[in-house]
Amino acid sequence: MTPVLDLQAVEKRFGAVTALSEVDLTIDRGEFFALLGPSGSGKTTMLRVIAGLERPDRGRVLVEGREVTALPPYLRNIGMVFQDFLLFPHKTVGENIVFPLRMQRRSRAEQQEQLAWVSRLVRLQGLEERYPHQLSGGQKQRVALARGLVSRPTLLLLDEPLANLDRELRREMEVEIRRYQRELGIPFVYVTHNQEEALTIADRMAVMYRGRIEQVGDKLDLYMRPETRFVAGFLGHPNRFSARVLEIADGRMLLDWNGVRLRQERRFETRAGETVELFLKSERIRLCRRPDEAAALPNRVPGRLQDAIFKGVFADCFVTLNNGAELVVAATPDAAGIPRESPVTLAWDIADAHAFPVEQEGGGS
Amino acid sequence: MKNRGLRFDPRIQFAMLALPGAAFVFVFLVLPLLSIVVFSFWRTERYELIPEWNLENYRIVLTDPTYLTFLLRSLVMATVVCLASVVYAWPVAYFIAKHGGRYRLVLVLLTAAPFLTGIVLRVTALQQILGPIGLVNMALMTFGFEPIEALMYSNVASAIGLVYLWIPFMIVAIYLSLLNFDFELLEVAKVAGARPWRAFLEVTWPLNWIGTAIGIVLVFVPTFAATVTPRFLGGPNGSLFGNILEHQFGATGTWALGSAMGVVLFLVSLAFILLIGRTIDPKRTGFTGIGR
Amino acid sequence: MGDGRRTSFFLQALLLAFLYLFLYFPIFYIAFLSFVENTTWPFPPLYTLEWYSRLAIMSDFHEGLFNSLLIGLGTGALAALFATAGAMALLRYPVRRKALVALLYLGPLFVAEVLIGISTLMFNRNVLGLPGNLFSAILSNTTHALAFAFLVVLSQLVRYDWRMDDAAMVFGARPLRCFFEVTLPSIWPAVLGAFLVSFLLAFNNFEISFYNLGAVPTLPTIAWGTLRHGIEPELYALATLVNLAVFVALLLLYLLIRTGLVRIGLPED
Repeated sequence: MTPVLDLQAVEKRFGAVTALSEVDLTIDRGEFFALLGPSGSGKTTMLRVIAGLERPDRGRVLVEGREVTALPPYLRNIGMVFQDFLLFPHKTVGENIVFPLRMQRRSRAEQQEQLAWVSRLVRLQGLEERYPHQLSGGQKQRVALARGLVSRPTLLLLDEPLANLDRELRREMEVEIRRYQRELGIPFVYVTHNQEEALTIADRMAVMYRGRIEQVGDKLDLYMRPETRFVAGFLGHPNRFSARVLEIADGRMLLDWNGVRLRQERRFETRAGETVELFLKSERIRLCRRPDEAAALPNRVPGRLQDAIFKGVFADCFVTLNNGAELVVAATPDAAGIPRESPVTLAWDIADAHAFPVEQEGGGS
Repeated sequence: MKNRGLRFDPRIQFAMLALPGAAFVFVFLVLPLLSIVVFSFWRTERYELIPEWNLENYRIVLTDPTYLTFLLRSLVMATVVCLASVVYAWPVAYFIAKHGGRYRLVLVLLTAAPFLTGIVLRVTALQQILGPIGLVNMALMTFGFEPIEALMYSNVASAIGLVYLWIPFMIVAIYLSLLNFDFELLEVAKVAGARPWRAFLEVTWPLNWIGTAIGIVLVFVPTFAATVTPRFLGGPNGSLFGNILEHQFGATGTWALGSAMGVVLFLVSLAFILLIGRTIDPKRTGFTGIGR
Repeated sequence: MGDGRRTSFFLQALLLAFLYLFLYFPIFYIAFLSFVENTTWPFPPLYTLEWYSRLAIMSDFHEGLFNSLLIGLGTGALAALFATAGAMALLRYPVRRKALVALLYLGPLFVAEVLIGISTLMFNRNVLGLPGNLFSAILSNTTHALAFAFLVVLSQLVRYDWRMDDAAMVFGARPLRCFFEVTLPSIWPAVLGAFLVSFLLAFNNFEISFYNLGAVPTLPTIAWGTLRHGIEPELYALATLVNLAVFVALLLLYLLIRTGLVRIGLPED
């Protein structure tokens, strides 16, 4: 089956800045795909290349097997939802929504039919005669989505569509957008810098950094098995520290972290005596008040609770370990009730931390 | 398909939009200006240009005491008018930008509006006030006073007239510069101990120098080339370089000499622009550029 | 300190008031003169409409008005067109050598009108071998007015969000369609403003038009001729009519700038 979108070795430079380098990506039918990355990572440029708003310097863009690399945006039938909605201020909601249909010279009857359908889908009925400046943020968002979907494009691109909405509305729209995607079966490519948003909304995702795709795959895979230091450092809320390799056996490593022994999977070539860097997600650490609670887990480190900050669904606990290091643990909210200076034990499984060879140049966060 | 893609290339779109106007200016302004540079090295005989290359025209313009006097007088006139305009325009533009509030646009448009009625009509109007039988002198005579000589057909009247004509440029230039000026910086300077005048000289003036410089150039260029104003307000000793220049294209028909005068006029203006341009230190203007 | 500040405030306000007086008193005074018989010392005034009726039957006046209108309309249209295209190019595309293009558009600001006049006269006469006519007057007035039109458009267009055009094109609008459906509805006040300013500049231009037209009259050359041969009161009537027209046009421009701000979606300041 040909993928809906196929980027092959796409490269784009702006002067001396490389916005995209050697990007390969395929997106399949009916997929909800998120592009996640910090600002300046090239994700918006990638979206603009897919839409035809930027022409890549090298590489090819294929939509449904057809090469569109040099095709201008108005011949691609790709829908897009822009960051600040970008509704046409001089057109009513209805006129904004049917704009793509008018450009495709569809009949008036068909325009009205599609308008009715899409207004129902995004729950905008009754607002067709209003002008954009008469709408709330959430309503504008729905109009932008309706305009993107009305012509049933081969692909819908969403560029940080929720960045300008407040928290409540964002939650609501995340659910709504997922619903549209399921009902229509059109592949969505969703760009965001917000990992919670990406993890909530998408099925598959790619993490971008400095114009490259660091890792692509199922979202859980990226979260649980990061393949690069950047992804390990970017997803979740990891603690980061270095340890020395003591022994290697059976694809496992025994590490020394300032006098504490740790067991860790070995996923790259390394030798005893070398130093590795560990990323340990704070939400994967168990905080135990009694040492025996952690008996089943291979890595156990005693320490003292310094502070616990109640955050609602969890509590951030700052723990000073007996080896002098400090770790942040996202524990259940009742941890906020533990008295300060209480002795605690932190424990985690072999797969919860991710080790990488130490890099000279400090990349990642 | 290749072709369509080509048309979408931003460089080609840029060229399609920008080149027609640029080419237009080149053909209908730059080429004519270059043509008079050529003609200035020719000579005229009985109202006809003769393509014989020589430097005679320049020798005449640059050595004949009469022409030199006109050139010098124009230079002095333009300098005086520029200075007077700067001195007057600054407090006015400052007032509008700082205290104009929601009426800023109206206030500044009102200073610029007369500019669009054309110089001939503006000079006509001014002559009815300042001329020998203008309102001021008629009033003086009616009430038994001596008329003020300086106002009738003199260089002073010319200078007033030129300020009257071109001060809108100066005000608009300074005003636009002040619009982008952060007045809070002045508060900072004052908190740091600067008195108002010191704060103005150390902060406001340098940060708005680029706008002032543009205003100065915009006033200098037409003033230095003035023809209508000195003719109708300047009187017998009021002729400026522009008048002697037009003369070559009117009665005498000495095209080549006139062209040389045109070139001299242009070069002096250009030298002035470059001189003013040298005073602008791009790093210290606070200018952040236009567009995205 | 507070006192000093208040003094300087009133001093500046006074200077502004005096500037308005300086700029407008002559204009209103000749408007007053255009309605009186005793124009040299009109106190007490003897009112009359004589100058207007004389002006109305002056054949030169009709021809001059017609020619001035033609020059104004032609220049306004050309300058607004080039200025809009040029400003769009300059603001929209990340292209190098922008400065050179901007220099060509703004350069005419730094060339004296009399120089534009004589150089086009010489160029037409000696290089192209053409006599000056209305057409050449429109062309060389356009080079001058273009700079002003360009500034008008530029000052408004910096507020326009070009991603609107991206949105239109993604949804299938070809470049021209995009311009007429999306860009122009937002920027038309700026375009019309540019037209108006260039129209007025060319309509009232003396030095450029004079050297292109020779004996063909325009309103400013008629006024100049009258002024040269000793003032005639018809000129007051003429000036008053032109000034009135200019102020009506400027009122329009002002309203345009305000709607322009609203259109582009920014609050007025």
